[in-house]
Amino acid sequence: MTGEHPALALRGLAKQFDGKVAVAGVDLAVPAGSFYGLLGPNGAGKTTTLSMAVGLLRPDHGHAWVLGHDVWGDPVEAKRLLGVMPDGVRLFDRLTGAELLAYHGLLRGMDPAVVDQRAAELLDVLALTDAGRTLVVDYSAGMKKKIGLACALLHGPRLLVLDEPFEAVDPVSAALIRDILHRYVVGGGTVVFSSHVMEVVERLCSHVAILADGTIKRVGTLAEVRGERSLEDVFVEVVGGRTATGEELAWLSR
Amino acid sequence: MAVPVSTPAERVRPVSPRHFVRLKLRVMGNNFRGQGWRIALFVVGVLVGLWFAAGGFLMFAAPGFADEPRYAVMAAAFGGGVLVLGWLLLPLVFFGVDETLDPARFALLPLSRRTLVTGLFAAALISVPVFAVLVAVAGLVVSAALLGGAVAGIVAALGVVVGVLLCVAASRAVTSAFATMLRSRRVRDLAAVLLAVVAALLGPLQLVVLAAVRSADWDRLVGVARIVGWTPFGAPWTIGLDVAEGRAWAVPVKLIITAVTIGALLLWWSRSLESAMVGAASAAPTKARRAPTGGAIAQLFPRAVGWARRDRFGALVARECRYWWRDARRRANLITIAVVGIFVPVMVNLGGAGFAGGEEGFEAAGDPSPVLLSISMLFVGVLASVTLANQFGFDGSAYAANVVAAVPGRLELRARMTAFSVYVLPMLGIVSLIISGVLGRPEWFGVAAGALLASYGVGLAINGFISVLGAYSLPETSNPFAMNGGSGIAKSMLTLLSMVGSAAAAVPMVVAAGLLGDGWLWLSLPVGAAYGLGAALLGAYLAGDVLDRRMPELLSTVTPRR
Repeated sequence: MTGEHPALALRGLAKQFDGKVAVAGVDLAVPAGSFYGLLGPNGAGKTTTLSMAVGLLRPDHGHAWVLGHDVWGDPVEAKRLLGVMPDGVRLFDRLTGAELLAYHGLLRGMDPAVVDQRAAELLDVLALTDAGRTLVVDYSAGMKKKIGLACALLHGPRLLVLDEPFEAVDPVSAALIRDILHRYVVGGGTVVFSSHVMEVVERLCSHVAILADGTIKRVGTLAEVRGERSLEDVFVEVVGGRTATGEELAWLSR
Repeated sequence: MAVPVSTPAERVRPVSPRHFVRLKLRVMGNNFRGQGWRIALFVVGVLVGLWFAAGGFLMFAAPGFADEPRYAVMAAAFGGGVLVLGWLLLPLVFFGVDETLDPARFALLPLSRRTLVTGLFAAALISVPVFAVLVAVAGLVVSAALLGGAVAGIVAALGVVVGVLLCVAASRAVTSAFATMLRSRRVRDLAAVLLAVVAALLGPLQLVVLAAVRSADWDRLVGVARIVGWTPFGAPWTIGLDVAEGRAWAVPVKLIITAVTIGALLLWWSRSLESAMVGAASAAPTKARRAPTGGAIAQLFPRAVGWARRDRFGALVARECRYWWRDARRRANLITIAVVGIFVPVMVNLGGAGFAGGEEGFEAAGDPSPVLLSISMLFVGVLASVTLANQFGFDGSAYAANVVAAVPGRLELRARMTAFSVYVLPMLGIVSLIISGVLGRPEWFGVAAGALLASYGVGLAINGFISVLGAYSLPETSNPFAMNGGSGIAKSMLTLLSMVGSAAAAVPMVVAAGLLGDGWLWLSLPVGAAYGLGAALLGAYLAGDVLDRRMPELLSTVTPRR
């Protein structure tokens, strides 16, 4: 099954908000076992695309499949194989870390004993055990990302979809998250994540897609997309950013 | 290159309340953009406001047309006093405050507290209720002018404006202070106790007032009205009549009373505003270091739901139970149910009764009947269940976790009803006990409990639908009384719809109480419980189907727009 189907397949996903096009037809095939980076500037439609891919936002057009299961036609099976960490979405943050993990585990229909064991392990590895009875709402930004990741990993999904996993995370936590994700992919899992931090993507990903203005501009393995240049150069060229001339904002250097 | 970014000695233009008012108008306007139904709801709200305003206007103006100075004093003092009291209490119990301009958003701006408070105060004046009240109390101006001529009218107009300012200041100060109180984990229990005490006092107070009205003649009442006229509750409303009655010296004194009150309220508000802006109270997790006991699962389940199986249903129930207590917004709702649940039935059932004996007068004589009791219980049950009308709005974007986990809709709704009932059912039991005790009719316990359970059950069913179809987002502030600007009217309409629907569905309990006589005393409890349970399960079954089909849509409606 894993051999025939890509881990995540998107076809013609499109979404408008109040007449404004957010995503204008995205096609993507994420091979199983890949570490896939979705790059794009702010407002490119990364979050919208990923939300439609995991069943959080109903697309106007198009389809999404997780390992061959239609996310919108057969959501239960597709979501079973899927671990998600959305961005800009709150956790049930009036629970403690352990309570939150227990909730997610049971919600996924896991055996209580397994939940207990895995939750303890995850909290330990992610250095969250010390937080004790602190509510997640009182966690720091980096701790929130880590507990979010733990929730997504808990049920052992085959595909992990992470929206901005490295945003607002300190270097130590980022290294830890990178490490865990790397082990997950080596162990046969597939990771799709969005980011606009080039270094992280270049270091981790086997595949990248560059998204801008709601469409995919470049897609392929890291080597294909990057070519001879740095990923940042390619990205800026594709997105078409402006370069500072030094004339504007003169009042800043008074 | 190392030139410091200095602040040039530019002239800083002062920020006036005008800016806040314009900001509020702009935010309100942008809320309407492209949302036809919001405009429609706003228009409906304005019309409803005008309707009530017209009624109030007539009430206040009537004594002037009838040339009855004594009634004019009473209308001004009592009517105005009730207005102030309403502005003080209603936001806490029902409506919340319009927090279009969230104080926290101004935390980083270099504004003095004085500027901020006056600005927010000015912005708070721009609202439909304020406009409606202003129209209503304009009746006082007409009344004063008819009784005392133009000068009295002008003074009354001044008083009316100051009075409205007092109303708004009172509502802001009280909700803000109360919100701060609830936010701090240390004093939240104290707040609950305090409210319970206030509620407990309201009942007897009501009796005393009613007894006074009954026994007192009109002269005594006018005397009371004149005294009220010297308190902040009545002072601003009565100065026009003072001029008409030739007591012009009272005008400056009463204005000073009112102004001092407004000043004190604004000062109070500015104190609690500061803690709302920096969130001081919540930043002290003092007991955070207490070592957790047991595994993750054991920690999730509170003792009250220890019976639940460790599966999806159990997890949902446990999480909801934790949330009803830990989320300030939900907790405020629970407290409201407890308070209103006790004092409304006491009021209704004892209020209509005559009182035997002059001393304490607690012995009800005759009037309360199983029918009246059932009706008041109906109200309590409906009120309790209507809390769930926006149950997904409480979660906000966190609901995404359940969408990602593909929780079946029926399971979701059943679990939410169960968790809420863990809190509410004991409360309803206590209400039934207290009310049958206060009435001195312990045998009516079954009637009360039956009506409560039935109306609560059908309420759960109807609010299951409303919560799935009519959800709306709540602002992510720490003020449990805050609502998004513009959604206030939509909220009230939905709440009203749900309450009317639930009440109608529970009416058979009242009819049965009226028709079946004594046999109903014993039948009511089992029948009501079965009716309520059946309705709730059916509601979860049907609404769950709807939820299954529109989970993502529900998620996007409850996610606050940023």
